[in-house]
Amino acid sequence: MKYAWLGCLLLLGSLLFAGTQDSEFNVNSRYTVEAVVISADGWRTDLAAHQNPDPDGKLSSTLRKDAAALIGEKLNPTMLEDVGRRIRKELHARSVEHHVLRGKSPEYVQIVFEVKLRPARFDVSVPKFLYSSKQTFSGLAEATATIGHNGFTVGGVSDADELTERYSGLIARYENNKLGSDRVRFRFEFDEFHDQWNAATQRAGLASLYRSRTNFEPEVTITLARPLTVSFGASFQQMQPQFPAAETEAANALITTLRYHRRLEDTENQHDLDAGYSLRAATKLLSSDFAYARHHLQFRYMLTRGRNVFIDDLTAGAIAGNAPLFERFSLGNASTLRGWNKFDLDPLGGDRVVHNSVEYRYGAFQIFYDSGAIWDHNDSPVIRHSAGVGLRQGVFSLAVAFPIREGHIDPIFMVGMNY
Amino acid sequence: MAGLALGVSRLRAATSLSVSFDGDNLRVGAPNLHFLTGKPLERLKDAATVTFLSQVTLFSDKQGTVFKRATERLVVSYDLWEEKFSVTIPGRGQRKPFTGGATQVEEWALDNLAISAMGMAPEKPFWLRFDLRAVDRREVAEVMGESGLSLSGLIDLLSRKPSAGETSLTANFGPFRLIDLPRTPSGRGRIG
Repeated sequence: MKYAWLGCLLLLGSLLFAGTQDSEFNVNSRYTVEAVVISADGWRTDLAAHQNPDPDGKLSSTLRKDAAALIGEKLNPTMLEDVGRRIRKELHARSVEHHVLRGKSPEYVQIVFEVKLRPARFDVSVPKFLYSSKQTFSGLAEATATIGHNGFTVGGVSDADELTERYSGLIARYENNKLGSDRVRFRFEFDEFHDQWNAATQRAGLASLYRSRTNFEPEVTITLARPLTVSFGASFQQMQPQFPAAETEAANALITTLRYHRRLEDTENQHDLDAGYSLRAATKLLSSDFAYARHHLQFRYMLTRGRNVFIDDLTAGAIAGNAPLFERFSLGNASTLRGWNKFDLDPLGGDRVVHNSVEYRYGAFQIFYDSGAIWDHNDSPVIRHSAGVGLRQGVFSLAVAFPIREGHIDPIFMVGMNY
Repeated sequence: MAGLALGVSRLRAATSLSVSFDGDNLRVGAPNLHFLTGKPLERLKDAATVTFLSQVTLFSDKQGTVFKRATERLVVSYDLWEEKFSVTIPGRGQRKPFTGGATQVEEWALDNLAISAMGMAPEKPFWLRFDLRAVDRREVAEVMGESGLSLSGLIDLLSRKPSAGETSLTANFGPFRLIDLPRTPSGRGRIG
């Protein structure tokens, strides 16, 4: 009962408290905010910077805008607490403290949000879950333990959407996001998959099928200049052919990826630009049974204006040489030529691909138009088109897509998250 | 000063607590009591607003029968550019906040945390308890929900011990009689 007096005070003074914000009595509320800085271990962003203050995109654009909106306004301690609470929630931080310092000019102050991240945390996530009326279920679930800069992930996957095979099995990954410097990251992944094949694929290429494959993939990513990163490493894949008597085959490749991400914002519009080029080159020097070079180019532009979102997604790829089936391109899934069945287009996949998707979203509503072609280098490409509508709320999506062609039209329904 | 006791105190030592009477009000005097210290001071130096809740309670017997209680809220902030503290007691009709150094502000605050002696018999003994606690704004928010008082929040708050570094003081005085107390000059009128 030590604090019974406080209870009485709260009871008796409830009206007083309900109608009054103590921060209005703060003498510093006459000062103007000059700068807002958010600082965490190995990361710092100055929101007063006019161009690209958060190149890593750690904060959502809404929170970044709200925090930047403090600049030029009179100091409001209640708002600082609110922004600090939102930063903590968004970054899953252990704590966020704000410090108010004298500004460079008299009557101005600077705000520093100091983020203390949790030394260790455990997350379970579902990066992909999808049901398609043609390919049935696909899903990936992962559990990640993060200790300092080290992340340990194990997951289970069964995916019939991405490739011409359904691969099911285990994923294990180690990541270090600060290898000596915060510009260098290291990742090592081990995968073990069991493969299942569609009847059309079996008919088309029985000899090239495999029943399981394993992958060891070490990779280092270096941030060259803030929006530009380069990754390089190697992938050692071993495939067990369908017939037990046959020898295991290896597809060992050097891999490199160049990625660029830029976000530009003005008062009304937000532009997101993502571009990437990846090369996987398998060579006999790595004791590979396959020798090939797989080039893949991706470009994505997203314009956000209020509730309106416009997206253009372009991808192109080519394989030179003889590549295993998991490297071959595929169209007609939940993200490309939606409405087409990939096994009707090319049951073995192709070594050439080009695809473009245009999408418009208003709030939860979305419409899209896909066009693309998949072919082999000695064939002629056939451009195909599809269109669809759907609902998208956060990570959840529901869509129906139709192939644009003459004759019978068989729509494909898709529902899921993060696909 | 019989019966003086410091209950929960994480304040800097208050070596000479006293009670005085100005003819209208009883006042607690503690020239060496410093509550602008520790975490509240850190928060103040970060331009935060720090609220202190105070209560002076009068008891008519040793068993703690309450016959008078006065509560106040002190709102303190620290001017980053002028390097001065500012204190306000909301609801007092104070035109301007009192500003000054830490000691000046502490003295001003204590001087204004008085309880009216109206209706008290001059020769009847009484006991006095003085409480002062820095309150996090979130603590108040926990108790004061959108739909009014949250009983579970209140129970939670009252059963919580002050954490390390938290400013909290409870001091018990008595017994006294009004006629025995030192008289100080009046001039601020009757409170409460």
